Amino acid sequence: MKIGVRFCGGCNPRFDRGLALEKIRKSKPDDEFLHAVEGEEYDMLLVIGGCTNCCATFDHFHSHTGVEKIWSEDHIPELIEEIEIARKRIANPE
Amino acid sequence: MLMTGQQYIDSLRKLNTRVYMFGEKIDNWVDHPIIRPSINCVRMTYDLAQDPQYADLMTTKSSLTGETINRFAHLHQSTDDLRKKVKMQRLLGQKTASCFQRCVGMDAFNAVFSTTFEIDKKYGTSYHQNFVNYLKHVQANDLIVDGAMTDPKGDRALAPSKQKDADLFLHIVERRPDGIVVRGAKAHQTGSINSHDHIIMPTIAMGEEDKDYAVSFACPSDAEGLYMIYGRQSCDTRKLEEGADIDLGNKEFGGQEALVVFDNVFIPNDKIFLCGEFEFAGMMVERFAGYHRQSYGGCKVGVGDVLIGAAALAADYNGANKASHVKDKLIEMTHLNETLFCCGIACSAEGYPTAAGNYQIDLLLANVCKQNVTRFPYEIVRLAEDIAGGLMVTMPSAVDFRSDLEVGRNGETLGEVCTKYFAASPTCSTEDRMRILRFLENICLGASAVGYRTESMHGAGSPQAQRIMIARQGNIEAKKELAKAIAGIK
Repeated sequence: MKIGVRFCGGCNPRFDRGLALEKIRKSKPDDEFLHAVEGEEYDMLLVIGGCTNCCATFDHFHSHTGVEKIWSEDHIPELIEEIEIARKRIANPE
Repeated sequence: MLMTGQQYIDSLRKLNTRVYMFGEKIDNWVDHPIIRPSINCVRMTYDLAQDPQYADLMTTKSSLTGETINRFAHLHQSTDDLRKKVKMQRLLGQKTASCFQRCVGMDAFNAVFSTTFEIDKKYGTSYHQNFVNYLKHVQANDLIVDGAMTDPKGDRALAPSKQKDADLFLHIVERRPDGIVVRGAKAHQTGSINSHDHIIMPTIAMGEEDKDYAVSFACPSDAEGLYMIYGRQSCDTRKLEEGADIDLGNKEFGGQEALVVFDNVFIPNDKIFLCGEFEFAGMMVERFAGYHRQSYGGCKVGVGDVLIGAAALAADYNGANKASHVKDKLIEMTHLNETLFCCGIACSAEGYPTAAGNYQIDLLLANVCKQNVTRFPYEIVRLAEDIAGGLMVTMPSAVDFRSDLEVGRNGETLGEVCTKYFAASPTCSTEDRMRILRFLENICLGASAVGYRTESMHGAGSPQAQRIMIARQGNIEAKKELAKAIAGIK
């Protein structure tokens, strides 16, 4: 899957957002994680916020299966599951 | 076009800005060891805009062109924009532990944009279009602009036109068909030398007799007749010492202020944003000051974050980190720092659209924000010094720590003696302990104290200026009615 990544601006992050993305990348080596760019199409948009506010702007990016947000490293396992669900949805559209 | 940090540095080399320091003209001011740390701070505003981890705060879409621009050149389009401005400032304070100097331009853009709209509405002038054209140029070229407001002011008891020396407030000395000639100076100008351009604004509300002083315009930093005299900071000449590193506390970053002198500078008509419409001087001042008082709820918080971290490290290195009073002091520092952030966010969240369409902060809350900034950093510094201990100001120089000079009976070197007697917790090296204590010295009473302490007191207006605004906005009559209603007073 082609996954667009948007970070919040990082004014007071409670965890290392860059490191979290690296962990996600290692967990999903077959997926492509790219910094989201306007005008590109992504299978999924991943928003990584540094705190519960998760204030990143992402309305200007396009994704086929929607947006997944995380604002804690604890969210990574659930995110991995969501990526798998999205993959199946793309493979078997209803 | 977003510039990279390197492109910004290269762009400064193309300027012919006249800079004086210690009685001499400084030709290569870009690489001067006293000036360069402040340039590195501004460079950070470019570098972070290129980094995907920070781009959401550092960049946005221009309301004028739809292009991606640095947020420092943005006209705030919503309360969300106002909040993101404060967060961006916190981020930059964290990355530099210094004043990063680009806020004054941003605050000037927003104040001049809305004020010129209202001047034109009353007088049919073309200042707003002049300004919009200018800002498009700034955004397209990702320029740094010093928002210059503070005049030297001379005798504080006298209006601009009543001063013995007319130049103590910047003023128009000649009106020509193609523009104006101005004379005077702007004092305490943060980041002026690092800026490509200057936007000049009046410093106080004015009456009709002061109309030659009611002037706002943009001009290049290297305009003919313009020059700058660098303001020195405590411990500044440590930066001139050979191999200076640890003793600087913050080797990479710092702030900068200068006196900017306008010795009969010509300003063409298309760069003029106010020219004699004296009753709008107060509006421009109030709006700029409002934005700038909001700014301090972000930038000083970011520096505070680093300072709190440094105090916590000092406690670790001293072996005092488990003491309950030390933990409590760190809590108090955090409480004070986050209270400032609350103020910055609150005055942003309560913002409102101006007639021109950009968003203005809530004036009462912005003044409350800045009033707290005149106090809390001082208490945070006091607590940091308390935690650090006296060694932060009594420690020998880094040269002594590295000296091979034999001084002991058994041949111990000066460096060995210093390292032995200033060792503390086994969890850190003596050098790391020195580094964090010198860093604390730098912010608490060294070169960076200019930005964290005195700038917190007087920048964006001294405490009494905020109290006047709080008195005007405080809504005391409505509060009396509340009390009357509950107390049964008719």
